[in-house]
Amino acid sequence: MVVRFENVGLRYGVGPEVLKDVTFTLERGSFSFLTGPSGAGKSSLLKLLFLALRPTRGLINLFGRDIASLRRAEFPGLRRRIGVVFQDFKLLDHLSAYDNVALPLRAAGFRPDSYRSNVKELLDWVGLKGQADMFPPVLSGGEKQRVAIARAVVAKPELLLADEPTGNVDPSLATRLLHLFQELNRFGTTVLIATHDPHLIAGGTLPVLRLEKGHLN
Amino acid sequence: MPASSIIPVDAQPMRTLTLAMAVMCYLATLALGGLMLVEAAVTQWTSGMTSQMTVQLRPTSGIDLSAETEKALAILSAAPGVLAARRIERAEALKLLEPWLGRTSVLEELPLPSLIAVAVDRTRPPDLAALERQLSANVRGVSIDTHARWQSQLIRTASTLRHLSLSILALIALSATALVIFATRSVLDANRGVIEVLHLVGAQDGFIARAVKGRFLRSGFLAGLLGTIGGIATFAILGLIGAPAGSSTLAEASTELLIAAPSVALATYSVFLLVPVCATLLSLVTAHLAVMRQLRGV
Repeated sequence: MVVRFENVGLRYGVGPEVLKDVTFTLERGSFSFLTGPSGAGKSSLLKLLFLALRPTRGLINLFGRDIASLRRAEFPGLRRRIGVVFQDFKLLDHLSAYDNVALPLRAAGFRPDSYRSNVKELLDWVGLKGQADMFPPVLSGGEKQRVAIARAVVAKPELLLADEPTGNVDPSLATRLLHLFQELNRFGTTVLIATHDPHLIAGGTLPVLRLEKGHLN
Repeated sequence: MPASSIIPVDAQPMRTLTLAMAVMCYLATLALGGLMLVEAAVTQWTSGMTSQMTVQLRPTSGIDLSAETEKALAILSAAPGVLAARRIERAEALKLLEPWLGRTSVLEELPLPSLIAVAVDRTRPPDLAALERQLSANVRGVSIDTHARWQSQLIRTASTLRHLSLSILALIALSATALVIFATRSVLDANRGVIEVLHLVGAQDGFIARAVKGRFLRSGFLAGLLGTIGGIATFAILGLIGAPAGSSTLAEASTELLIAAPSVALATYSVFLLVPVCATLLSLVTAHLAVMRQLRGV
């Protein structure tokens, strides 16, 4: 089991609970969607999953570790096992597309020679071969999203979390990106995609976690 | 892409930091140079004092001063640790008084004490107490002046100056540390978003600290170099143009410090080279600790 949530609650400050008694599990190698209306708490749930927030109550277990017992120094090691595609991309504007994609590998201490060809290949695969040296401020929304996706998958994470990963791309590219996620999933990566896009979920064969007003159905 | 460019650092604040650090390093070089000048002067003066002493025989009625002086000379010459004992002739003694009393006929009539200049072996100095006892027992009206009072006053003054210089150096180091901490915090505050992303992609605090401190390493080294060159130039100018009348000793000492004796100059430059080394280390270590401390609070 990669992820286990038990009665997880989250509130920001003294505000109302945005997540209430959320309980679910993600098995290793599973592919799931997380959906729900705006403000239902999808992004908050993802933030809990990539350790950007701690729950107000309940238990979160990641890769067999209770996150409440984690020391601060253990966070980077755990985060390296998770790839995240952020809704607002979170690209570093002063780094080129290539350097943004290579960032998780650099942070993990790999030498540039060891990942150069992989990063270029991945940029080629997401259709950004010619934009490798361009900086985020001059890229379109769709191009930024593809850089963000490439950065999330470049280190072959065990868990891939994506927040609206196809929100800014045309349907054909959305399908290609979904295929990329499925390919990663075939190699054993657990995938959770938060989306509004009904076309992405269409087919109905994959599990869907539906959040409504902080409750998971 | 170099590691340091992962965290963008505005050039302007870093230039200001480098300039402020360069001024600190310049002051540190001056304080170090001043300290070395004091040390050199004290060594020179005390070595002169410890290798000499004066034996004085007061003129008293009924005493043959010349015969007593001869007795004292004989005792001193035979004493272990005494290299030479020389009688200071009356003409020479009168010359010593001229700066105070002027050249007047009154001097001729003054009953001057008989003086003996004694050169002492500094490596094996004589037992002064025993020597004084022996002289007192055999020579009437005798006393020894070892210059100890002057020496202790000089050492006290030198010690005060030494502590003053070291305090100035400590204050400079403290100010430079505060500057680097302030600048590091500014860099981190301006890059909160970048640091958040780095954390989210699994970067450890050490990785972020390395990215930040690279800039401070360069800044510290450059500031140290500029400050030291400025300090050396100041001493060189002092030595070259000379000081105003009456204080030429400072000019001579500055020249001595930088270019006179090769061994002295070598020691001087070695000490001055510590300034850029220390500035670089201080910037590096302070920036690293400040980043790690601030990141722990994130």
